[in-house]
Amino acid sequence: MKRRDFLNWSTHGLGGAAISSLMLEDGFASQALKSHHIPHNKQVIHICLCGGVSQVDSFDYKPKLKEMHGKSLQADEKPDVFFGRVGLLRSNDWEFKQRGQSGMWISDLFPHISTVADELTVINSMVAESSSHTPATFQESSGFRLNGFPVMGSWVSYGLGNLTSDLPTYVVLPDSRGMPAGSTSNWTNGFLPARHQGVPFRTSGDGNAISNLFPAEKIEPMVESNSRNLLKKMNDLHMKETGTNDTLAARIASYELAARMQLAVPEVTSIEGETERTRESYGLNGKETRDFGRSCLLARRLLERGVRHVQLFSGGSFGSPRINWDGHEDMKRNHGREALRIDQPVAALIKDLRARGMLDETLILFTSEFGRTPFTQSASDKVGTGRDHNQVGFSVWLAGGGLKSGINYGATDDIGYKSVIDPVPWYDFHATVLHLLGIDHERLSYYHNGIQRRLTNVHGNVLSGILT
Amino acid sequence: MGLENRKYYHIFTVTDSTLMFDSFYKKNNGPFLCVPWLILLLVVNLNLRTVAEEKAGSDWWSLQQVERPEIPEIKNKEWVRNPIDNFVLAKLEKEGLDPAPEADDRSLTRRLYFDLIGLPPGPDSSPEIDELLASPHYGERWARHWLDVARYGESNGFEYDQLRPNAWTYRDWVIDALNKDMPYDRFTRLQIAGDVIEPNNPDAIIATGFLVCGAFDGLKPSGDKQRKIMRQDEMEDLVGTVSQTFLGLTVHCARCHDHKFDPVPQKEYYQMASALGGVHRGDRDVPASGNPTNLKQKKDLLQKRLENGDQKIRELILKENKSAKRNNEGPQPIARWTFDKDLKDQIGNIHGKALGGARINDGALELDGKSAYVMTVPINRNMKAKTLQAWVKLNNLDQRGGAVMSMQSNDAKTFDAIVFGEREPKRWMAGSEGYSRTQSFGGEEENRAKDEFTHVAIVYKADGHITAYRNGKPYGKTYKSGSVDFSSGNYQVLFGMRHGTKAGSNLMLSGKIDRAQLYDKALTAEEIAMTSNGNFVSEAELVARLRPEQKIVRESWKTEIAKIDKELSKMKKRKVYAVRPSKAPVTHLLVRGSPFELGDEVSAGGVQSVTGSISSNFGLGPDAPDAERRKKLATWISAPDNPLFARVIVNRLWHYHFGKGLVQTTNDLGFNGGKPSHPKLLDWLAAELKEQKWSLKAMHKIICDSATYRQSSQENPKALEKDSDNVLLWKRSISRLEAELIRDSILTVSGQLNKKMGGPGYRDFKMYNHKGSWVYDAIDPEGAEFNRRSIYRTWARGNVHPLLAPLDCPDPSASAPVRSITTTPLGALSMMNTSFVLRMSRKFADRLKAEAGNDINAQVKRGFELAFMREPKEEEKKLIEDFVKKNGLTALCRVLLNSNEFIYLN
Repeated sequence: MKRRDFLNWSTHGLGGAAISSLMLEDGFASQALKSHHIPHNKQVIHICLCGGVSQVDSFDYKPKLKEMHGKSLQADEKPDVFFGRVGLLRSNDWEFKQRGQSGMWISDLFPHISTVADELTVINSMVAESSSHTPATFQESSGFRLNGFPVMGSWVSYGLGNLTSDLPTYVVLPDSRGMPAGSTSNWTNGFLPARHQGVPFRTSGDGNAISNLFPAEKIEPMVESNSRNLLKKMNDLHMKETGTNDTLAARIASYELAARMQLAVPEVTSIEGETERTRESYGLNGKETRDFGRSCLLARRLLERGVRHVQLFSGGSFGSPRINWDGHEDMKRNHGREALRIDQPVAALIKDLRARGMLDETLILFTSEFGRTPFTQSASDKVGTGRDHNQVGFSVWLAGGGLKSGINYGATDDIGYKSVIDPVPWYDFHATVLHLLGIDHERLSYYHNGIQRRLTNVHGNVLSGILT
Repeated sequence: MGLENRKYYHIFTVTDSTLMFDSFYKKNNGPFLCVPWLILLLVVNLNLRTVAEEKAGSDWWSLQQVERPEIPEIKNKEWVRNPIDNFVLAKLEKEGLDPAPEADDRSLTRRLYFDLIGLPPGPDSSPEIDELLASPHYGERWARHWLDVARYGESNGFEYDQLRPNAWTYRDWVIDALNKDMPYDRFTRLQIAGDVIEPNNPDAIIATGFLVCGAFDGLKPSGDKQRKIMRQDEMEDLVGTVSQTFLGLTVHCARCHDHKFDPVPQKEYYQMASALGGVHRGDRDVPASGNPTNLKQKKDLLQKRLENGDQKIRELILKENKSAKRNNEGPQPIARWTFDKDLKDQIGNIHGKALGGARINDGALELDGKSAYVMTVPINRNMKAKTLQAWVKLNNLDQRGGAVMSMQSNDAKTFDAIVFGEREPKRWMAGSEGYSRTQSFGGEEENRAKDEFTHVAIVYKADGHITAYRNGKPYGKTYKSGSVDFSSGNYQVLFGMRHGTKAGSNLMLSGKIDRAQLYDKALTAEEIAMTSNGNFVSEAELVARLRPEQKIVRESWKTEIAKIDKELSKMKKRKVYAVRPSKAPVTHLLVRGSPFELGDEVSAGGVQSVTGSISSNFGLGPDAPDAERRKKLATWISAPDNPLFARVIVNRLWHYHFGKGLVQTTNDLGFNGGKPSHPKLLDWLAAELKEQKWSLKAMHKIICDSATYRQSSQENPKALEKDSDNVLLWKRSISRLEAELIRDSILTVSGQLNKKMGGPGYRDFKMYNHKGSWVYDAIDPEGAEFNRRSIYRTWARGNVHPLLAPLDCPDPSASAPVRSITTTPLGALSMMNTSFVLRMSRKFADRLKAEAGNDINAQVKRGFELAFMREPKEEEKKLIEDFVKKNGLTALCRVLLNSNEFIYLN
């Protein structure tokens, strides 16, 4: 094979898949997508918890921390925490219990998620490279700490393409209270073509779920359809003149797809048709759970209709008063309030997908950009009520096909601070996610400014320990 | 060699900003973490032995000196217009292919217009390359390309995304430099080191905006480790941007290890990092420069002429108005401020005093919305009923809470004021302390006051009824609340501030007041109507009265004054966003890129394998000052015999002219980039650029004048078979307009394009601070200011444009040397449905009616001429006439703007 061919990718490997996804989206005949290996999952729901969820209060059970409550951290060097204040150790604020058949330890912070413990694969030894929200969040989603790199959803869109042409490939459901910090950068396609950008659906207020879905001013339906017809005729005449051309044909097709999207989007977002039982289970009737429940239910409906990747945000931007998991001041209040919003809906989503036979083919990711410190953010002789950012040890979980479920992978030290057994950087996490989708992370690349870019940069090991 | 082996070096192709992590982490957690790393290294080392030949050495093609190649012989001599064609045709003939015939005039004209100035041609335009290159729009068009490469944005990005209100000065510098055809070597040197090469030249300082216009994380954690890592990330951005932009080399790939593909040792990355080590960013003052005296005199003269002329017409109009209506201007005010020359009351003695920089300019009171206001002396009469009246122009309609005119007690505790947008955005209201006399008038949103002076008045009756008027007509509804007794000597009038004794945020008005009047009685609606244009003649009225030739002269005076203003503003001390140099630290090589493993000290220097007469060893010590380091870097990069320097830029030009570079990876001429399709042509162009004294315009001219460029897009089955990607240039490839060009074209054909050049950009977003972070919500504001070319859009990184983004306008976080062009349903939806396109469709229809009268066929014909530069064909005529009869002209205009013919070039 000539080097050029290799770089152009047009004929080999996944490049073919990426190209066929373009064709799919552009309205050409659907082609079977070739994966690197047999995939376990074909779709993704990524739940992003913004601000930093405390591992020691949720999924990382550390009895020693309770014993050490009020003691100081015995460390060789002062921890390099964001605000530079290292207080005394603080016991977990929520009690841990063993759950399900697996006996997984989960705290009372998430009583509903606890009921699906046996579906979860928890990684307790995550490590991040930044303790600053935005770079850390960028890395959580794109593998890089900097602006401008494509996020995981875009890579998945690029690698696997779409299952439907009526809806976007990659849909984003922001927190109803506001956009996450760095707003649109969180679903950027970076240097990948624009079609791989996440399309945010409105999760609050009235109006259409996506922008520009319908004319900004009222136009008579008759005028609208006549206009489309005329446009088609004129474009056809134009193409007759210029000669058949893929580019021009694709653009004509894009208008037909747009019309289909105008039907599909209102349909998928009208959750009124769901049964009362479903609505109740997702928490649509509860004041606290209504918003996120709606997003979770919408996520399921989007998957059912062929959306490849749905990203949900729990939490908006940083600052005061807090609307995310950034519990610097008062963990109990902060995490208590945030968990209440999402606990029931997330559990309902997992149960619902299981009941519908979708969970074996759907990867659910539950991640936070970093964790929180076992010591408090306070004077060095005080047990404060808030915790600072912790990049050196935190927990995330996955659920879906191909995973050993009901297990904990890796571990932090006795107090839940640093990852000491099988530390997992984001590269490994991303490599594993791609693997679970049938993609070899080293082969999914895109040439940009001199470099074959990858989600996993030059790193990444698939975590075989969590795979079946 | 098989794919499997390649995989391993592939792992290391990527710049590794993150390897440092391993070493950082190791410290915290003991040595065992290193093990996988070592194994990996071992594997890679083993494999590198077998792939060693698969990388570029110093004999790589792009590093060789540019030799002007001989012009190849060809058979088809008639086809050739200049040497470019010999190179292209030689290849085609070798493959047995013919070039496509020359494009027709219409295609060529459209091609050249969009290519060179980025605007659609008028119906009767012809393809004059020289004219287009001389047009100021040329700079606007090509600056966009350059700003893509420079990763130019006007906010910081990252979490806080603060706006950089002075960043646009760099954008204007690029436009200006291109329009002046600044030699490319100088263009380059100024962007790298202008501030130290010519420290007294404001433009040279502004040019360094190039280095710092990328995203920047201003949020620094308290931890020293993270800060060091972040600074190294910034250095990687700088080294990467400079080396890719000017050298087409990915030097930043050598941050953690020797470059895996190009002959760039890790040490040389740090040499360049050292050369740029003093670069920091921010607003800085540029000194006053030049001598404004002559310009000022010239401006005064023009101003006087203009005023005299206007005065005559104004008097004429007023006289007519008077005789037409009644011999009564309405009741006499107790005070009138005309702000023509000063702040004096023209009737009584309630004179004003300028505070906080308020000033008279061009016959109006200028208020900056920050500190400027006018306060009068106390008024010596009791007042209960009153009328406040003013003619005002606002600088923007999104401002909140500033007052045009306020009557306040001397202690500022009680006031009645004409306030804009305080409680309700974009609406007028009667401001008062604690809203005690304030209710909504329920008037309409203001939409004109930004473009023209607008009359506003509030009438306060003694019984507490309050009525507002706008342009002489009632504004919303009268309401009843309380009234105030202002007692003699205890109150005063303010202009530009709601109330108070000193400027404060959200009190201040940003705009101009042409004149204002105060009455000690409540005027009736009739009296308001009478006085509202009593002595006031609007710009529109005035222009309407001019004869065509007078209009032209007046317009030229105004243009000249605006030009002088621009020149004058450049001579003033002002703030720009540019490099703010600081003492450059001693740079160390960082082992595996880790800021915690310092290697040897490194001096500023270049890349040795880039040959040329200027050594990559700058001969500086590690502690040399920033100025020396950057000057040397700029000189080394722009050396006349730096083989990459010329090749990279001519290849970029080619890319923008043909949609594809001779090397398709325009930021990378190294091993990982593409190889040139026409290596000799590339060298000929590079040699020619030097010959042409680095004039880019000369190169445009040669390229656009070639037969290669002038080919039609006609297909050729034989050629298609052999070369479907048209690498050999056997035809013109059909191309879609870039996002900004689509928007600019829509504005042009609908007659709405505001050609105002330069200055701060328009803001098509609402910005607000949400918990410390700036949020930019896209809006679609109306008005001439927002109808400027898209290059003048304030490019806040967080603002995703509803029309431009789906059409592949890139994320300005990273250099975008090649824009992707995608065709998606979301793009179709935005072209069909955004309020902008719908509004422009309406304006387009209005224009057709105005220019073609009521006949549908004439309207359609005009529409086709403007949009497509042709008349409708027979088969279209009937179809479209029927359509317009049923659906209206606006619907047709929307279809035209959406059509392929409108946004594709062939």
